[in-house]
Amino acid sequence: MNCQELIRYLSDYIDRSLSDELHAEAQQHLATCHNCHVVLDTTRQTIYLYRQSGRQAIPAEHRAELFARLQQSLAARKDSAS
Amino acid sequence: MPSTNSPPAISLDALRSGDPQALAALFEAYADRIYRLALSLLRDPSAAEDIVQETFVSAMTHLDRFEGRSSLGTWLYRVGYNASLDWLRRRRDEPLPPDEPGDESEAVPLPRSLVEWRLTPESRQAEGEMAAELDRAIGELSESLRLVFLLRDVDELSTQETAEALGLTEGAVKVRLHRARLALREKLSDYFTERTPQEGEAA
Repeated sequence: MNCQELIRYLSDYIDRSLSDELHAEAQQHLATCHNCHVVLDTTRQTIYLYRQSGRQAIPAEHRAELFARLQQSLAARKDSAS
Repeated sequence: MPSTNSPPAISLDALRSGDPQALAALFEAYADRIYRLALSLLRDPSAAEDIVQETFVSAMTHLDRFEGRSSLGTWLYRVGYNASLDWLRRRRDEPLPPDEPGDESEAVPLPRSLVEWRLTPESRQAEGEMAAELDRAIGELSESLRLVFLLRDVDELSTQETAEALGLTEGAVKVRLHRARLALREKLSDYFTERTPQEGEAA
């Protein structure tokens, strides 16, 4: 496996969705290619950073109000339907 | 941070019969996820909250249309995604930007930056700055790459679930995810390689 192929398979490698054969070839390439190893490592860090900090949530002060609004809407619909 | 992996199974029968606890559980499990999806497309927190509301009202009033081919969660994502697209269509005079070109082609640009990152515990001091940098980088992605990255890598949906939620083939999800990861890595590289420890930073 060369660098270009490694980069093409990089996401599948990270997601462990390569065949055993390709996975082994990728591992072999990574063991000897510093550049590709850096790309793998920094790509994993990219995913990790977004997973850690990217989970934005509804602001706590709006959450209960939003749920109450939802319940009201649904109740109003039920009333108008019956 | 609450774990948003594998939300609990919620009984469809309970939802259909109007069980308030089932509704609360559904909201608890998916409201933030729909909010993130909408926020990523709309870039407007207040509008994203409206989309959450609209998504749950629409889903609950059309529960009979849910056929159970996908999971309830995936279906909610899809309702939220469509509601977000409708909002954008109403808001924008111009049509939505064209979709990713050459979706099925696996060609991706070769990585440019080949330098290791300086991600040390000390860099936690600059968490606010780093968050802004992460926001900037993902904001520069096309919408279609951003959404696939959000669903797959942040919300940790499977390829199949992401494909169902966004109405894509699994092949397109994989190609977009790969492009998104490499593009984000490239965009963040300058920041993480330039961030050498500065004098007095540890003080």
